[in-house]
Amino acid sequence: MSELYSVELENIVKRFGNVVAVDNVNLKIKENEFFSLIGPSGCGKTTTLRIVAGLEEPDEGVVKLHGKDVTDVPTHKRNIGMVFQHLALFPHMNVFENIAFGLKMKKFPKEEIKRKVREILEIVKLEGLEMRRINQLSGGQQQRVALARALVIEPSVLLLDEPLGALDLKIRQHMMVELKNIQRKVETTFIYVTHDQTEAMTMSDRIAIMKDGRIQQIGTPLQIYYRPVNTFVASFIGEAVNLIEGDVKEDGFMETRLGLVYCPESEIKGKAAIMLRPEVLEIGNKLKDLDNILNGVVQAVIFKGSYVEYRIEVEGTSFIIHKHGVTNTEKIYPVGSRVEIGWKRESSLLIPLD
Amino acid sequence: MSRIEEVLRYIRRSRRLKISLLLAPPIIFLAIWFYAPFLILGLYSFNMINIYREIVFTPSLEHYTRVLSWTGAINIYLRSLYFAGLTVILCLLIGYPAAYYISFKMKKYKDVFIILFIIPFWVSFLLRTYAMMNLLDERGLLNTMLMSLGAINTPLKIMYTDVAVILVMVYDYLVMMVLPLYANLEKLDRTLLEAASTLGAGPIRTFIKVTLPLSMPGIMAGFLLVFIPAVGEFVVPELVGGPNNYMVGNIIYEIFMGARHWWIGSAFSMLFIAFILSLVIVYIRKIGERGLAL
Repeated sequence: MSELYSVELENIVKRFGNVVAVDNVNLKIKENEFFSLIGPSGCGKTTTLRIVAGLEEPDEGVVKLHGKDVTDVPTHKRNIGMVFQHLALFPHMNVFENIAFGLKMKKFPKEEIKRKVREILEIVKLEGLEMRRINQLSGGQQQRVALARALVIEPSVLLLDEPLGALDLKIRQHMMVELKNIQRKVETTFIYVTHDQTEAMTMSDRIAIMKDGRIQQIGTPLQIYYRPVNTFVASFIGEAVNLIEGDVKEDGFMETRLGLVYCPESEIKGKAAIMLRPEVLEIGNKLKDLDNILNGVVQAVIFKGSYVEYRIEVEGTSFIIHKHGVTNTEKIYPVGSRVEIGWKRESSLLIPLD
Repeated sequence: MSRIEEVLRYIRRSRRLKISLLLAPPIIFLAIWFYAPFLILGLYSFNMINIYREIVFTPSLEHYTRVLSWTGAINIYLRSLYFAGLTVILCLLIGYPAAYYISFKMKKYKDVFIILFIIPFWVSFLLRTYAMMNLLDERGLLNTMLMSLGAINTPLKIMYTDVAVILVMVYDYLVMMVLPLYANLEKLDRTLLEAASTLGAGPIRTFIKVTLPLSMPGIMAGFLLVFIPAVGEFVVPELVGGPNNYMVGNIIYEIFMGARHWWIGSAFSMLFIAFILSLVIVYIRKIGERGLAL
């Protein structure tokens, strides 16, 4: 007996003219999962979402909702909910009418519509605003109306297309936490499209990273952060990354332009890159107990509040280091000073290069 | 700073002055060519200009009461309303699907098709009407064609009937309906329709619940642009209508130019203007409000 998935995409291909927007995408999204699709603009993430919604027809492949092939089912019969990037709230209706729209289409009795709208307004914290016009609401409130409108019909899956894009940072951060809470409360599968990895990392159970219409990696936030499968994922995820390219000579050693470097033992042979997250690198003057120690010069120091970011040049290669737990009495290495940087081989990751 | 610079600076800074400078030319133009004649019309209708064309202070409603006591006048008002109303409804029924199709269903050549609607407008209104007369005449193209095809034995009598008046008016004013509708539909955010479909609305209900209400401003604009000139139409009933198809414009012409009774003519015109104005106001209040409130 195979596991029942909320959404399955099998070998989906979508072309726009000569451009392949979605290139053989396969996805299985579990029941009640918060799943994010992320990638740079033009990577095909929105098109993939629209294919799930039925707003875009795939050229090849199969779309399944709850195990049922819906590839040829029109959008309005798919029982999905969608929150659009620019919200797409009906300007000629007030908050209540907007939210009740889907219920009316599904021919719910009047009293039940009222009750359901009241309930969902409570969940999105918009009680008392039923009679407001859409243009009388703030950006954050409109956001909640769009969410409520999509959720009130109890869709089998909720699709969100960069819904927080238009909000400013503070409200966005707040809405991220809120969204995750709402998802837990309503117990619905969420598919969330964004180019903002922070949003994806904050809320998702699993994330798929796309580039040029192809899925690069699917995994938990932790997996894709610490175990990226290629250099694209490594550099796309996280604030910064250090990659040292070279040749794996034998297990545990790599020949690089910085000399022979200790690297983790793995199956990977030949051309590869060592990935170092900025927080795993140590900085100091007399470093000990580390596998690799290199000499460099501080190029830039940026105080970022909870940490200090250093840019350090080692023989023409620039490293980014985040030093956390800095207290104001501690010495911050000034620009131009000579320092050592180092790391343990097990805190680095070997990534194959193709 | 020179005196001129100072003046220019004052103009630049004063919002009110800037607005009045921009508004002055059209207002002065309208004042001379529309409001002044309109005022004179008003003076005539209240009997405040005598036969020597002098302004006199002998206001009376006698001309109004004479117009109102003439039952034929009401009939002519109603007929004008009927012709204009039918024209506007037919323009909407023909124009909306056309504008909708071009805006929503066509990907390329949208402009080409809109220009096809505009091209007849480049031909003089009179020429177009004469052309239609040739087509609809008893021995015109339409009848000749239908008869040679054997579809009919005796020529259709279209010219000098209601049908001819309506047909030519629809043809003449269609573009005034299509253009505002098209402009309005082009502006309509397509993701609203997608949103409706994700909420379970099929194409028909999406049209009724979203597209149609959101295109009300376009319908309103088209309605007014067709209705107002159509209700005052003068040339079309004169040329293609019979004596029973006279509209207000023709009667006014007859009273002024035929009977040369400027006083009755003025009263007749003023009453009609008041009548149409009140209709338009009711229309905007009732239907327009929702459309304009967007």
